[in-house]
Amino acid sequence: MLPDELLDQLRATFPCRELQLQQLAALYSQSLPFPPLLVAHGLPCTGKSALIKAFLEAASLPHVIVNCRECITGRHLLERTVGGCLDALDATGDGKMDRRPYSRTENLSSLVVNLQKMLEGRRDKFIVVFDGIDAQREAPPTLLPALTRFGEIISNLSVIMITTLPPSLLHKPGIPHLNFPAYTRQDLITILSASPPKIFFTTPSSEQFPDYTPDLAAEDDAWLWNRFLTAVWESISKHTGRDLVSFRNTSLRLWREFVAPIVDGTFGTRDFSRLMVNRRHLFQTEDAVLDRIIKKTANNTAVAKRKTIQHDLPYYTTHLLISAYLASYNPSRTDTTYFMKHSDKRKNKRKVCSHSGITKSKHRRIPRHLLTPSPFPLDRLLAIFRSLLDAPVPQLADIYTQIATLTSMRLLVRVGGMVGADPLDASARWRVNFGWEWVRSLGRSVGIEVGEYLVGGVDG
Amino acid sequence: MEHERCYIYTPPETNGRAPKRRRISKGDPKIHLPERLQTFRHIWAEQEERIRNTLEEADRATQDKIVDFVSSASPSERQVIPTGLIVAGPSIASHGSFFDRLGKRIKKDTNSAYTVLTSADAPNLKTLLKNLIKKTTSRVEDDDDDDDMGCPTSSARNGSKLLGFDLGHIQGWRVRNPVDGVVIAFQDSEAFDARVLVEMIDLFYSWLDRIPFVLLFGIATSAESFEDRLSRKTLRYLEGQKFDVTQSDEIIERLFRVTVASANVPLRIGPTVARRILDRQKDHVQNTQDFSDGLKYAYMSHFYASYPTIFLKSDLSKGDLTTEAFEAVRNMPSFRRWIEAKVDAGESRIVRKLLDSDDTLFDYIVSHLKSGQTALNGLSCAVRVLDSLRRSLQMSPTARLSSIWVRAASADMIGSPFLRETMLSLKKMSPERFLQLLETWSSDDLDSSFFTLDLGLYVSELEALIEANDGSIHFRNQHDVGNESLRTTVVAQKVLLSKHKATLSEHDKAYSELVGRLHEELGAYFANAFIDPKDLFLSEILMYDLKSPHTEVFQPRPRFAIERALSSPHDYLGCDCCGTDRGEGEGASLSATLPATAILYQLYLESGSLINVSDLWSAFHAMVGDDEEDSEPRAMALFQRALAELKHLGFVKPSRKKTDHIAKTMWKGL
Repeated sequence: MLPDELLDQLRATFPCRELQLQQLAALYSQSLPFPPLLVAHGLPCTGKSALIKAFLEAASLPHVIVNCRECITGRHLLERTVGGCLDALDATGDGKMDRRPYSRTENLSSLVVNLQKMLEGRRDKFIVVFDGIDAQREAPPTLLPALTRFGEIISNLSVIMITTLPPSLLHKPGIPHLNFPAYTRQDLITILSASPPKIFFTTPSSEQFPDYTPDLAAEDDAWLWNRFLTAVWESISKHTGRDLVSFRNTSLRLWREFVAPIVDGTFGTRDFSRLMVNRRHLFQTEDAVLDRIIKKTANNTAVAKRKTIQHDLPYYTTHLLISAYLASYNPSRTDTTYFMKHSDKRKNKRKVCSHSGITKSKHRRIPRHLLTPSPFPLDRLLAIFRSLLDAPVPQLADIYTQIATLTSMRLLVRVGGMVGADPLDASARWRVNFGWEWVRSLGRSVGIEVGEYLVGGVDG
Repeated sequence: MEHERCYIYTPPETNGRAPKRRRISKGDPKIHLPERLQTFRHIWAEQEERIRNTLEEADRATQDKIVDFVSSASPSERQVIPTGLIVAGPSIASHGSFFDRLGKRIKKDTNSAYTVLTSADAPNLKTLLKNLIKKTTSRVEDDDDDDDMGCPTSSARNGSKLLGFDLGHIQGWRVRNPVDGVVIAFQDSEAFDARVLVEMIDLFYSWLDRIPFVLLFGIATSAESFEDRLSRKTLRYLEGQKFDVTQSDEIIERLFRVTVASANVPLRIGPTVARRILDRQKDHVQNTQDFSDGLKYAYMSHFYASYPTIFLKSDLSKGDLTTEAFEAVRNMPSFRRWIEAKVDAGESRIVRKLLDSDDTLFDYIVSHLKSGQTALNGLSCAVRVLDSLRRSLQMSPTARLSSIWVRAASADMIGSPFLRETMLSLKKMSPERFLQLLETWSSDDLDSSFFTLDLGLYVSELEALIEANDGSIHFRNQHDVGNESLRTTVVAQKVLLSKHKATLSEHDKAYSELVGRLHEELGAYFANAFIDPKDLFLSEILMYDLKSPHTEVFQPRPRFAIERALSSPHDYLGCDCCGTDRGEGEGASLSATLPATAILYQLYLESGSLINVSDLWSAFHAMVGDDEEDSEPRAMALFQRALAELKHLGFVKPSRKKTDHIAKTMWKGL
């Protein structure tokens, strides 16, 4: 068993993981033999890796942690395991080991051999931790069952696997499992309230408020943060993002705006209920739960959130995109109705609209623009393109260049056709990769109301 | 021949020269070619310098911001990967040079390693990492590089071996080359597979405690659509800023200003080519590289194809030239016009001399080249004056400098409503605008040898007027309609409308006079400067304005060419058999003498989207085969070959909808 003071320290660092810590301490006590295999499983953000790492370090057991996220292939995992073991043994043992015999680890069997050679003649146990082994890329199918048996083959080796869900295909009974359950509401609030952020970036000047000491400020921070956390949980995080990291991110995103009235002096630090009422709009939008690369600041939330290309597209490119959208969303049999030059567009359109109006009452139809786009051949796109434009367009190579450009921008996507074939092969089919709002604004920028050409029309 | 498995094909002997070789002129087309090449290089080097400076100037602001971001992101302890989203616009062809320039700046100004990855480098995660490692570790220094860096198992960390895609390579490299950050730029982030991106970011995040990554994503559409492609978990790892690059049409405008519409260019492209290039930019591509390519091609063809361009060489002496060059000048249309004008003016002695003596002609050419250049520079200067005038007056519709220049160069400016409107609103100008205009002109560094108006005089007079008006800038303008009011009077049940001018003070009158004078002088200046470049002697040398080389090279029409070759092969073959009855009615003539593929193509055009092969064959046979019994095998062979050719060109494909049918995939004229 670990000394009690070390355990207490770990307990303080990892609140609400009492049980897991006790189990670890019981399983890996120096006086008893280690279990050959331990499976630690739990959902993301439940403290598996961090707790095990901290425990192993505190107990100063010789170990290596292999992070499977960093291994690109199964072979890579094996190589890194051997490399990590050698590094760890170098650090604990005396003098460097000769690394030449371990230069290649092609498969699981050679891993066993290498580990055996390495650990030969050592009296103490050695622990190998595979972090996230269930998410290993290009893993050989026998990886997990083989690793399960490593502890049996090599007597002084102990393996710990950290997984999200308990693996079902280990083919070995009696493996100790260590479950890390998701944190409950109480746990989360306990953990997060341990480190309250500050209300004031700069403490109020001591001349103005002589009795507002830093201690008092810290007390206020903790008091308000605790209540604030409860509010965030009940209003937002209970319904979306219940794990520790999401909850913390959401709370931190809201915090500064939440305490803004206190900072500018409208409310006192303990006016929680008035503050809640004043700042209730923060809890009504989804901004706080969305992860974004660019931090939303107060002034650019006002900028419209519509998806727009900020740079203008060339004239014909715009028309190509519009015609691609129409080709994707209109059935090809209606093309004569909509795009024949000699027929009266308006008359035909009315007919189609009224037709759809009748069927609407019988059975609900989903508007076309809400469905997935259907693929179309290239010539149909070009035909619609030409009928949208009044003036004739010469058959320039530039048009094909634009289609290729749009494809590499992923606005048009090629479906079907042979892989690696000529991208402008006539038998290839295409699909658009953008939505209705975007094409509507695009159409308005060149004076085309796309809704007029869309079969069934668009409401609203 | 059948008994031989293979044989060597010996083409029939031709006697010396190919029979189909024509030469129209006897002269040597390569005359003075090295000199012309040299002149071209000299002139183009200047232009290239201007283009480069303009481009660097254009994205300096953005690059400064990015460099600041990178250098501030590098040292700190972080929980997230600093990420710059560079919205570079839809002209993806110019992204490459942008990222190159950015890389140079970043390497120069910050202590970071810089690597550009394109989507071609990254079909999957493994290849991406390999390329990244290769580019990052071998680029910066060559002296300290391990020789076996490229091979998959190399020693990087105290003897242990690493696989080729292990980021430990970069970690080891960083030990030897201490850099603050590893900047990785993704040139075309849209073309990357989203799955690869997600995995890569996950991996980088996991390595972040050992390697300080900074990611830059080049985005063609918008930052929001980039975020939408990544998963929420991935987005949590990234945090950063968005950078906007200058819109490419604005850059094109600036490029045009320095390369064509500036006052010190020895050779210009003409209005037709300029309009083509600009229209192409507007309609099809937005790409600065294309613009400078078009310009360069125009210069190249100018110097390659015409002798007299040798006269553009800077230090030219008579001895360098041959008589052919002078002959060529004498054959130019502008020379003829000029000579005719001289004959009409009765200067026949000079004309005789010009036609006979090369020396005289040389002197005239040199002086006229100089004056022609001055005139063209004056034209460009006037265009800039007009442009800044319109901008100061805030006239709508806003006309770009390039379009004004094109109009002016095609001699479409004098007497045009465009110019008249501008001059009229100049006359009504308010004093504030007047001051502003004078300031713009004096700050615009217009060359005083071309822009002859004395601005200083106007400034001092206006200031004197303001002084006299007790420092107030409020003058009424006599020409401004806003100062007139209509007055209605009813006299004997008749309504009389009379215009009434507000009474003008002495100062107001003086101001109006000043504006009137500016209007007059400017009008005279424009009338002088907006010449027709085509009327200049030697305009062919000073201006390159041939449309077809540009169109053929930059705007080819591949599909049209194929369709035309198939539907009217006569245009290409030039034979007598099928070209006789053409002329009226297009493509209607279908005769057996056409090539088999062309016949089949005609039948193809007449059919619907699914074609019965058997029907096609019978129609083809009726067309080709004569009544004899044994013609069928030959016709069948022709038919099969023609059909195979159509299939190869992608016109038909086998269809599963109906047996014995083929599907039509291409329609004519699209």
